[in-house]
Amino acid sequence: MTRLIRRKFVWLGLIVILVLIGAQVTGGLRPTAAFACVMVGGLVLLINGLVLRYCGFGIAVAMVYADLFLLLLGFMRTFDLQYDVMLRYLPDLMGFKLQNGFLQGAALTIFVCIVSIMAATLIAFLAALGRLSRQPIAYGVATFYVSFFRGTPLMLQVMLIFLGLPQIGLVLAAIPSGILALSLCYGAYMAEIFRAGIIAVPRGQTEGAMALGLSKTQALWLVVMPQAVRLVIPPTGSQFIAMLKDSALVSILGAWELLYIARAYGRAEFRNMEMLIAAAAIYWAMSIVMEYGQSRLEKNLQRGALKPM
Amino acid sequence: MHKKHSFAAASLLLSLAVTAGADAGPVLDRVQSAKKLVVATDAAYPPQSFLDKDGTMKGFDVDVGAEIGKRLGVSVDYVTPAWDVIVAGHWGGRWDVSIGSMTPTAQRATVLDFPAVYYYIAQILIVHSDNTTIRKPEDASGKRIGIGQGESYEGYLAGNLVLDAAGTPPFTYRIKDAQVQAFESNAMARDNLKLGDGKRIDAAMTSMPTAIEAQKAGAPFRVVEPPVYFEPLALAIDKGDPEFAAALKQAVADMRTDGTLKALSLKWFGADVTSPPAE
Repeated sequence: MTRLIRRKFVWLGLIVILVLIGAQVTGGLRPTAAFACVMVGGLVLLINGLVLRYCGFGIAVAMVYADLFLLLLGFMRTFDLQYDVMLRYLPDLMGFKLQNGFLQGAALTIFVCIVSIMAATLIAFLAALGRLSRQPIAYGVATFYVSFFRGTPLMLQVMLIFLGLPQIGLVLAAIPSGILALSLCYGAYMAEIFRAGIIAVPRGQTEGAMALGLSKTQALWLVVMPQAVRLVIPPTGSQFIAMLKDSALVSILGAWELLYIARAYGRAEFRNMEMLIAAAAIYWAMSIVMEYGQSRLEKNLQRGALKPM
Repeated sequence: MHKKHSFAAASLLLSLAVTAGADAGPVLDRVQSAKKLVVATDAAYPPQSFLDKDGTMKGFDVDVGAEIGKRLGVSVDYVTPAWDVIVAGHWGGRWDVSIGSMTPTAQRATVLDFPAVYYYIAQILIVHSDNTTIRKPEDASGKRIGIGQGESYEGYLAGNLVLDAAGTPPFTYRIKDAQVQAFESNAMARDNLKLGDGKRIDAAMTSMPTAIEAQKAGAPFRVVEPPVYFEPLALAIDKGDPEFAAALKQAVADMRTDGTLKALSLKWFGADVTSPPAE
C-alpha cells in the first residue's frame, strides 16, 4: 500500500517537472500547441512507466537513467545556451594545452587530486592510529589536527598555507600549497572514517588473532586492516569525489584548474552559464569514473565476505 | 621522557618563529637579477585582463605590465591569484607587482604600497535593454540593484563610500534607498540582470569598460548616463621597497609623457581614461 502511494508521488513529481519544462520549451507556442506537447509528453511517460513494469531490473534501471538524463537535457535547453562556445573551449577545459609549461584545466585537476588523495590517505591513516592511541602526545596531536582541519573552512586553510607559511620563511608555490591544504583537510575527515572502520571490526578478531600467537601489530595489519578497508571504501570514495570538486579552490592561488578556466573563458566571452555547464559535465564524467573504480574495488574486496543485499 | 620531547618541539617552533619576519628584501634587486617581472592580475576581467582564445592573457592591464617590463629592461610573467590573496599583502616574493585595476584605499595602504595611479574608471549603472523607466541614476532610487560582494558600489549605494585615494574626483550620492542585492561577483550580478528587466534585479552597478565589453558580446544592457563616480586605479606592491616603487612610478610617468599610456587606453577602452575626468 505504502509502496503504491510512494510510486504515485514519484509519477506526480515527474509529471509536474515535465509540465514545467514543457511550459518553458514551448513558451513561444500557442496555448493549444503547448497543451498538445505536454499531452504527448505525458503519453510517452505513461508508456515508459508501463514498459518499466515488465522488464528486468538492469534494463529498468538503464531506462530510468535515460529518462532522468533526458529530463536534465530538457532543463538545460531552457537556458538558451550557445553550444558552439562550449565546444570551442572544450580542449582548453580538458587541459590539452600547457600553461607556463605546466598542466591546466581538467588535467591539472586530476593531477592535484591524485597527489592529494595519496597524501590524504597516508595522513588520515596516521591520524586515525593517533586517535586510537593511548599515548597522550600521539592522541593529542591527532585529535587537535582532526578538530582544527575539520572545524575551519578549507578556503581559509588554503590562504593560511599560501600566505601564512611565508611569514615563517617557507614560500610554497601555488600548486604545492593547494595540494598541502587539500591533503590536510581531507586527511582530517578521512581519519575519522578510518578510525570508524578500525573500531567497527569486532574486538574478538584481535583477541582471536593474538590467541593464535600473532603479535599486536600483526593482528592489526593481517586481521583488522583487511576487514576495516572493506568498510571504509564507500565513505572514502565519497570523500575523493568531494575532493575532486573542492580542488577548484587551488585556483584562488592562481592555478588554472578546470573551474578557473571555465570562469575565465566564461567571463571573457560573457557566457558564464555555457562554460560552467561544460565544466560541470567534465566534473561529473570524472566522478563517474571514480564511482566505477569504487564499485569495482568494493566487489573485489567483498569476495569471501557476506554479500550485501 | 615525554617532557623532553615536547620541550625540543617547542624550541624548534620558537626558532622557526624567530627566523621569520623581515623578508621584505629589495624587490627591485630580485627583478633585475632574475631579468623577470612577475605581475599579478586577473584572468577574468575583460577588457582589462582576460584569457584570449589562444590561451594567452590580453587586455589593458596586461599591456601596461608588458610596457613597464620593457622600460625596466626585463621580461614579464603573469600570475592570477584570487583578488583576496592579492589585497591581503605579504606576498612572500611570489610576484612583484599587482597590475589589476586596484583602488588605492587607505585600508589597503596598511599592507600595500601604491607607486602610481595609471587610469581612472567610470562607475555606472546598467539596466536591461527592455527597461524604459530608469533614464538617469536618480530613477533607480528604491530599486533592486545588483553588485558583487565587497565592491565599492556597496558603499556608494549605502551612502557611506570612502574614496580616500589621492586625486579622487568629488562625487554625490544620486541613488537613494536602493535595495542592494550583493552577489558572489559582479559577473553574477550581471548574469542576474540578463535574466530580464526586473526579473531578479532592476539594475546593476559595474564599470564603464565592463559594460561596453558586455554589450559588444551581445549582453542586453543599457548604460544609464552619466557615470555616478570615478575611481583612480593604481599599481600595487608589497610594502617596504621604495626603490622599486620609484622605478614603477617613473615608468608610468614616462608612459604618460610619451603617449604610450593614452594609446593603450584608446586601444582597449576606446577613450582616454588616463587622467581624471574634467568636471
